[in-house]
Amino acid sequence: MSFSDIWLFVQQGLLSGLVTGSVYALLAVAVVIVFKTTDVPNFAQGEIFMVGGYVALFMILVLDWHYALVIPVTLLVVALICALFQRVVMERVIASKGVGVQLVIATLGLAYVLKGAVRQTGLGDAPRSLPALIQPDTVLIGDAVLTHLDLMILFTAVAVMLALYFLFNHTRIGKAMRAVGMNPKAAQIVGVSLVRIRMMVWALAGLISAVSAILITPKILITPDIGHIAILAFAAAIVGGITSIPGAIVGGFIIGVAENLVGLFISTNAIVVAPFLAILIVLIVRPQGILGGKLQVKKV
Amino acid sequence: MKFNAIRKAAMCVAIAGLGLGQSAQAAEPGITDTTIRIGLFSPLSGSGMAYGFDVVNAAKMYYDKVNKEGGIHGRKIELVVEDTRCNANDLVAAVKKLVEQDHVFLLNGGSCSAAVVAAKEYVERAKVPFLMLNASGDGALYPPSRYIYGAFSISQYAVGGSVVEFAVDHFKAKKIGYINHDDAYGGWNQTAAEFQAKRHDGVTLTVQSINPSINDVTAPMLKVRAANPDVLLLTTYARPAALIIKKAHELGWNKPIVLTVNGTADLKQLVENVGGAAALKNFYIQDVVAGLPSDPKMKWVYDMYKEYYPDLASKPGHPQSYMAYGLPPAMTVVQALKDAGPEPTREKVLAALQNFKLDTGVMAGPIEFTPTDHAAQKSAIYMKFDGENKELIPGIFKSAWTYTAGK
Repeated sequence: MSFSDIWLFVQQGLLSGLVTGSVYALLAVAVVIVFKTTDVPNFAQGEIFMVGGYVALFMILVLDWHYALVIPVTLLVVALICALFQRVVMERVIASKGVGVQLVIATLGLAYVLKGAVRQTGLGDAPRSLPALIQPDTVLIGDAVLTHLDLMILFTAVAVMLALYFLFNHTRIGKAMRAVGMNPKAAQIVGVSLVRIRMMVWALAGLISAVSAILITPKILITPDIGHIAILAFAAAIVGGITSIPGAIVGGFIIGVAENLVGLFISTNAIVVAPFLAILIVLIVRPQGILGGKLQVKKV
Repeated sequence: MKFNAIRKAAMCVAIAGLGLGQSAQAAEPGITDTTIRIGLFSPLSGSGMAYGFDVVNAAKMYYDKVNKEGGIHGRKIELVVEDTRCNANDLVAAVKKLVEQDHVFLLNGGSCSAAVVAAKEYVERAKVPFLMLNASGDGALYPPSRYIYGAFSISQYAVGGSVVEFAVDHFKAKKIGYINHDDAYGGWNQTAAEFQAKRHDGVTLTVQSINPSINDVTAPMLKVRAANPDVLLLTTYARPAALIIKKAHELGWNKPIVLTVNGTADLKQLVENVGGAAALKNFYIQDVVAGLPSDPKMKWVYDMYKEYYPDLASKPGHPQSYMAYGLPPAMTVVQALKDAGPEPTREKVLAALQNFKLDTGVMAGPIEFTPTDHAAQKSAIYMKFDGENKELIPGIFKSAWTYTAGK
């Protein structure tokens, strides 16, 4: 392999990795915000993402709607599904003194329900794409080739991240979400409605998942089994620190880039192993994750 | 007196013999004087439906045609149909039900290899003849099992061997890029591809193996491109294939790409998934039938489908790409039952299949079984596909790989 090949591999691997990594990052943020406020790892995250893609696909293929309408309706529908799930199912489990395991199983149940529902639509028989949001032209950055869609994915993902930063730091709702994440009892004492905030957090996670689905589906295609992408989101969250939103973002980019560099410089067989390798390294070197803060011992 | 005693004894033996004969016939499951019951199964719903739905329809219409023509040695074929959803658990459950509850004479089914292979152990234990539909099912065929016959469309070994033969013969390729899956499926076609490449002087294969659930194909595509091959061969499923074709187009790849039959179930969807016909300017697909649907050799197949399923035929997407693959397995079942004679048993059918050759006129090559090779079909045809039209490349390209015990 020549030096120019290696240099091209580095450039293309990094840039393409940042594009897919930006979507992993968004999904990791969705995992983290739910985990922080409810202490539940959401194992339906991948299926929520998948449903976002199929809701949009349904409106485009079956209802023949324009993207201008499809995007807001998709965001609304997925956010609503998530909010309703929290309000109707999760809150009932919590109210009946359900423990963490029961809540986790409830999310697994949601995953199966969503997958089954999509299969019933008849759209899930083959891998499908959403029509490209923009022209499929390419641009050269150094020696690397990216498409306009790649750039749109990256910029939109970063814009969503900035919007989330604004939400959590400069709005009352965002601050209330953080308060519930830090100390739910104290938050309740000062007048924050836990039920309402948890519902909003789930809706926000759904919103982020739907944005991710609309962005990445034209690039990676969807099937009812695409929910496995959530494994990468969990990997990103663990690498970044499972309770840290900036950590989830950093983790997402690391996983995206690691997949490509491992594939290019080690073996393409090893691409799927790369996220788990990253988790192993992080857990050995910095168990709390890259931005996970100090390790704490919980007294029981 | 003595003569009478001998005569009585002889009559008793004869009657007992008759009784034994009757009970042996009665003990043969799924056979009556007027019917032969066959278990037919494949994915009829779910994500793998494209692999099996119309394949089963094709088999059903052929069995129905045979019944209308008088059946086999006077017996009509009775079908028990099960949906196996391309899933190993569903398939094994269906096979057990067909054998133990429906008491079928033989099994004819399976469109997904992994699911079919899962039934191998049970089928061998139950000693039921099992002829697959369009599953390649290499894992159940090598080493050969006495009861299992398959790869009526093509085996994965033959997929790999044939596509390399096509690349060398048609493109005069010396350097071949090859992307397959990193599972058993990919391993099988890679083995035969490497075998086929070694048969030609100076032909090298650059292989990149990927996981079927890959999201970003930048790495495999860049590595293949860096090797500067004359042609890129893809033996992946539909989703990774579409991702690679799209990425190749983005990276400015303009050399030929050949997609094997593993990824061609829905070509209309493929065009959408790769972002349009522009990505398919130098694109070829493998098929295992004798010709294009418009070919006079194949016309009767599509006419028959329209006659049997007029409502379905008027719907977009039907007949599905693999429809014709359902005929050769049904033809083979019918021929083996005919060869087994007017009093068929499972053993007689298995004996008939041991040395079997049938030119179905539907597939690129004949159906051939020997005692050491139970994979039916090893040839393929190739077509240039521009996103809308298919243009047949002359010739039939056969894989040379053969199974050797112990390897």
